[in-house]
Amino acid sequence: MLRLLLTTTLAAGLASGLAAQEITVGAANVSSYLDPGRDHSNVGSQFYYNTFDTLIDKNHDTLAAEWQPALAIEWHLVEPTVMELKLRDGVVFQNGEPMTADDVVFSLNRMYQATFPPYVVRSRDRLDNFEKADKVDDLTVRITVKREEPLWNTLLNLQQVMIIPEEYTKGLTGDPKVAEDDDFEAFSLAPVGTGPYRVAEFVPGERLVWERFDDFWGEKAPLERVVVQQIPETASRVTALKTGEADIITNIAPDQLSLIESDPKLRAVGSATPLFHLMIMNVNHPTLKDPRIRQAMSMAIDRDTLNEALWFGKAVVPDSHTYEEFGDLYMPELKTFEYNPEKAKQLLKEAGYDGAEITYDTHPTYYTNGLLAAQAITEMWKEVGINGKVRIVEKWNGGAPDMMTRNWSNPMYFADPFGSFGVMWAPNGPSEGQGRFNTDAAYAEAWERFRFSKDVEARKAAYAELMERIKQDPPFLLLYRPYESWGMSKAVNWAPKPGHIPYVLDFRAGAISFASN
Amino acid sequence: MLSYSLRTLTRMALTFLAIITIVFFATRLSGNAIDFVVGENITSEDRDLLIAYYELDKPVFAQYLAFLKSFTDGQFGLSFIERRPVSEIVVERLWPSAQLLLSAMALTLLVSLPLGIAAAIWRKSWVGSAVMVLAFLGYAVPNFVLAVVMVLIFSYWLNWLPVVGNGTPWHFIMPTIAMAGVLIAALTRFTRNAMLDVLGQDYMRTARAKGLPESRVILKHGLRNAGITILSVVGLQVAGLAAAGSVVIEAIFAWPGIGDLLVNAALRRDYPVLQFGVVTVALAVIVINAAVDLAYAWADPRLRQTVNA
Repeated sequence: MLRLLLTTTLAAGLASGLAAQEITVGAANVSSYLDPGRDHSNVGSQFYYNTFDTLIDKNHDTLAAEWQPALAIEWHLVEPTVMELKLRDGVVFQNGEPMTADDVVFSLNRMYQATFPPYVVRSRDRLDNFEKADKVDDLTVRITVKREEPLWNTLLNLQQVMIIPEEYTKGLTGDPKVAEDDDFEAFSLAPVGTGPYRVAEFVPGERLVWERFDDFWGEKAPLERVVVQQIPETASRVTALKTGEADIITNIAPDQLSLIESDPKLRAVGSATPLFHLMIMNVNHPTLKDPRIRQAMSMAIDRDTLNEALWFGKAVVPDSHTYEEFGDLYMPELKTFEYNPEKAKQLLKEAGYDGAEITYDTHPTYYTNGLLAAQAITEMWKEVGINGKVRIVEKWNGGAPDMMTRNWSNPMYFADPFGSFGVMWAPNGPSEGQGRFNTDAAYAEAWERFRFSKDVEARKAAYAELMERIKQDPPFLLLYRPYESWGMSKAVNWAPKPGHIPYVLDFRAGAISFASN
Repeated sequence: MLSYSLRTLTRMALTFLAIITIVFFATRLSGNAIDFVVGENITSEDRDLLIAYYELDKPVFAQYLAFLKSFTDGQFGLSFIERRPVSEIVVERLWPSAQLLLSAMALTLLVSLPLGIAAAIWRKSWVGSAVMVLAFLGYAVPNFVLAVVMVLIFSYWLNWLPVVGNGTPWHFIMPTIAMAGVLIAALTRFTRNAMLDVLGQDYMRTARAKGLPESRVILKHGLRNAGITILSVVGLQVAGLAAAGSVVIEAIFAWPGIGDLLVNAALRRDYPVLQFGVVTVALAVIVINAAVDLAYAWADPRLRQTVNA
């Protein structure tokens, strides 16, 4: 009897030792709210994939677009503009409610037919073509688009259309039958989804605690509990990793990597983030009106040297606005940007540049290496005779008429040219809307072909036309894809997966394990 | 005494009103919240939509009235970023900051009073000089330098002490020392000087002549009289610390306090949080000052009589 007791206790102890895996993540930033619909920030994207599901998932181990069933198990077009999706049976939300077609329709229409202003804004730039979702029966929904949609899978895989519970959300404030703005506001502090980890505690801007959701429909989460603690100071994050207070830390700049790599118990993993740092140029500023001046400003910048000096060569310098992540639409053959100081000098002469001062604006700290890059760029300009000057500005001034050039970033919101260039540089998009970029009918026509052509080759051809326009009359120069690193204890096996959007902390089954196991 | 207290309280209320008005207008001079709330990548049409949603399109005066009105519902408005009542956010942060402040105060009194008295009594021996050297050194080292050096030694190299948050008593050691460092240095010097003034007084000789034990002479007759000076210094220092001193320390130790909250609210132009946070800190400073004023009257019978006359 005693022996039996002992063995049982031992076995139980061992089992729980293996099962009760818990880690702490020291994050540079923890979100102020958690709502995948309204959010598209780099801070927020860290957190959604563990808690929420989309209808269609993606194999994140590869750059290619391999779509996988998630909350929908099959889908097909019933008309050119209508898709029917069969939902997975037996899916339960983390609050215990079963997921039905009503929840899916509610989640989709909160974006497709948005009334809550933050949703309106988010859906307009990427979901404008989606008209509505309808319930057919408890496990079938239909989605209607305005024009034939070449990007169905991509746009059903978006963070913004992750599925949330209808009844729970509506019941958060006010009338439990109506979705009020305050319901969505309340949801973002107490989010509920169908993913493998439920949010057990959320203190905005401070701490997020995930616990394994045992009724998850897919493979169970490998971790029992994850605490994400905001540690704003890089030095404190690295120290926390050393003291064992954190198992993983985020956002390590290249010049801090040696602190981690020099410790035999720690390691760092990193990758070039699918996000471009860029220099934007105000095409409507009187000094910059002549495209030749902007071409010269671009050609004067030796981006490879910037990469070597600021990123230890780990960043990626692109020839055009394209990412490997785009799969079939990756177009490395495009040569939109080049370094050619001699030609820059010649163009300046032709344009009759009179030495007028050209300002380059940057926030002092927002972009890693932003200020250093600004200083290097104005020095490079000086080499070809451009009178550049760095201006430190604390706020976003991309819409100010007196802004001449400044730094910015173009994240890959989803893996398609439409998810990066397409959002930022669309006709009437954020760049044109802020008065520093102009489009015309020809540009709009090419943009439409790039957005809606069903044939990949036709899309590529249209995209090449757009890039040629950018080359001839440049509103921006891409600088590089910054290199981002995570530090961790050697006991933890984790790395960012290539198929995700930037910064996702994926702790689902297969994404994280422990060296001892 | 009563009218003195009343006057103190009225002055407090007026100062408070002036502060909330200044805070309201000053926060709005620094930039439009909408640029920080919604980010950069939107069209001007969408920007207008959100400006209206966050009610930032209303005239400043109407916003000011709404701000004053928000003091009546106990919520003090909604944070632009977190969309929950400001009072909830600030209260969450208030206690950790108070904990740190109190532990720093306790450490300061515990260390600097004995040191200051010792330095005064043995001012001509090496003890007095050693204490003073230490005090000047301590005064010259900014708290963040002290914090970072401690983190480097005790966490980064030795792995003895934790650096993140306020979970256990161990978490208090480094932030408390870092916060108290300058205070200890200052208060030690002030205690020494105040004691020196007192030690030479006639009543000290009288007390000794009565045959009182030396400890009682020093502590009762000496320290009590030096107390007024010490009290005013402590009041000023604590008020200063409550206002701004903890910001850097909280950032370094990821301490979930109000200093960290204010800095972030200021960076992101979260007016409701910033306003109420500044107002809370201002209130704390006012209360501390008022408490010191009242404590004077308690500590010094002469002051009590003057104000009553």
